[in-house]
Amino acid sequence: MERFAFFPGCLVPARYPAMEFAIRQSLPKLGIEIVDLEGTSCCPDPIYFKSKDKMAWLSVAARNLCLAEEQGVDLFTNCSGCTATLSETWHLLHEDEKLRDRVNERLARIGKEWKGTSRIRHIATLVRDVVGYEAIRETVIRPLEGLQVSIHYGCHLLKPSRIMKVDDPNDPSMMEELVRALGAEPVRHRKWHLCCGKACTDENLPNNMMRDLLTTVRDTDAEVLCLICPTCFSQFDHGQYRIAKKFEEDFHTPPVYYFQLLAYAQGVEYTNLGFERQRFKPECLQRFSVQEPAEV
Amino acid sequence: MATAKSGAVVRVDFAFKRELAEKIEGNLASFCYQCGACVGDCPAATYTDDFNPREIMLKVLYGLGEELIGSDSLLWKCTNCYNCAERCPQDVKPVEVIISMKNMMADRGIYPEGVEKVIETFETTGRTVPMSSAIDKQRARFGLPPLPPVPMEEIRALIEPAPAKGEE
Repeated sequence: MERFAFFPGCLVPARYPAMEFAIRQSLPKLGIEIVDLEGTSCCPDPIYFKSKDKMAWLSVAARNLCLAEEQGVDLFTNCSGCTATLSETWHLLHEDEKLRDRVNERLARIGKEWKGTSRIRHIATLVRDVVGYEAIRETVIRPLEGLQVSIHYGCHLLKPSRIMKVDDPNDPSMMEELVRALGAEPVRHRKWHLCCGKACTDENLPNNMMRDLLTTVRDTDAEVLCLICPTCFSQFDHGQYRIAKKFEEDFHTPPVYYFQLLAYAQGVEYTNLGFERQRFKPECLQRFSVQEPAEV
Repeated sequence: MATAKSGAVVRVDFAFKRELAEKIEGNLASFCYQCGACVGDCPAATYTDDFNPREIMLKVLYGLGEELIGSDSLLWKCTNCYNCAERCPQDVKPVEVIISMKNMMADRGIYPEGVEKVIETFETTGRTVPMSSAIDKQRARFGLPPLPPVPMEEIRALIEPAPAKGEE
């Protein structure tokens, strides 16, 4: 088992505990041991608190990184926003000595120092790089054969690519491969590259953008929309309902967080995965059943 | 642009530029040569009539920032998607320059209401979603322990601004 610190952030543990449950179910089956960190805070969020004071934002983020360093492990996140904050912090402090000194002066107030010994991975990148697509496939006992899955990458998993170094932001393939590993069929909607709009405070802009985006998702006839970020998820669940009502459009593609889909494919019961709390429920998943393991 | 028509005299506001340069990555706009690569892929430019990252960087170069950081600032239309940073051949990271200007607005006490609320929640609870018994009940349903408390004395110590001179 390889050990990694789990940085849960705010949205998943508080708003979507089913996602955390799915992660804790699926990672050990992939040979990853979860190390829980004591005393983590908000990453802090890369939109609001960063807008107030970048220095304070960096300092709190560096404190979270110190918690993983103290355990001597790398860290993974389950939210693209947390990934953005922590990866950018690591990158800035690594590149800019003066900034590192300023942040470490603040950390000295609480007896900590950022050293840069723990790296940050988004959980999707973690399973791609540490586990691998083939090893994921081997844990699947409920293949999602023929399931049409539209994919939304969101912004902060891929960009800025010079910092994230995850995949080609102009033509990524990671999530398609992760979905294929479950036996499902990825389909790309035309506006796959668009932002979900959850992070801007304007109202019309994200509404119009989401309408365009959801139109192209609907055009694919995908059965579910797969996501790896809880912020995007909320925009595609309750947000989708709101947009559908506002524009009187028939948008209804159930969003699913990838690790819930993975846990389901690994055999966790549908009714244990919290799908009933979603506005759009992925009931289509219920047609798949656990296959008898092949003869050894 | 109303303030920089050809023939009009533009007085560069260096005070604004110096203040912006104090912010982390605030001075990157200096490298902008106005190519416009940031515009085509900008969701806010596509879905609004008035948001244009190239024009925003031009105003920054002129030091016309006071037009950008008022109480009705259009900077809040930025979706924070990082497409502009991805496209920029000069490594300007317009999105970071915009966030630095938001830091300047915060110094002046100007935030939209929703933004201020999230910041306040973080500064008082260490989370953007505060703990509650309803959340812990939901977590228990999945066999998860209650949310652990955040050591707020540490967070408060870190977000305290540096003393004026000398100590930090």
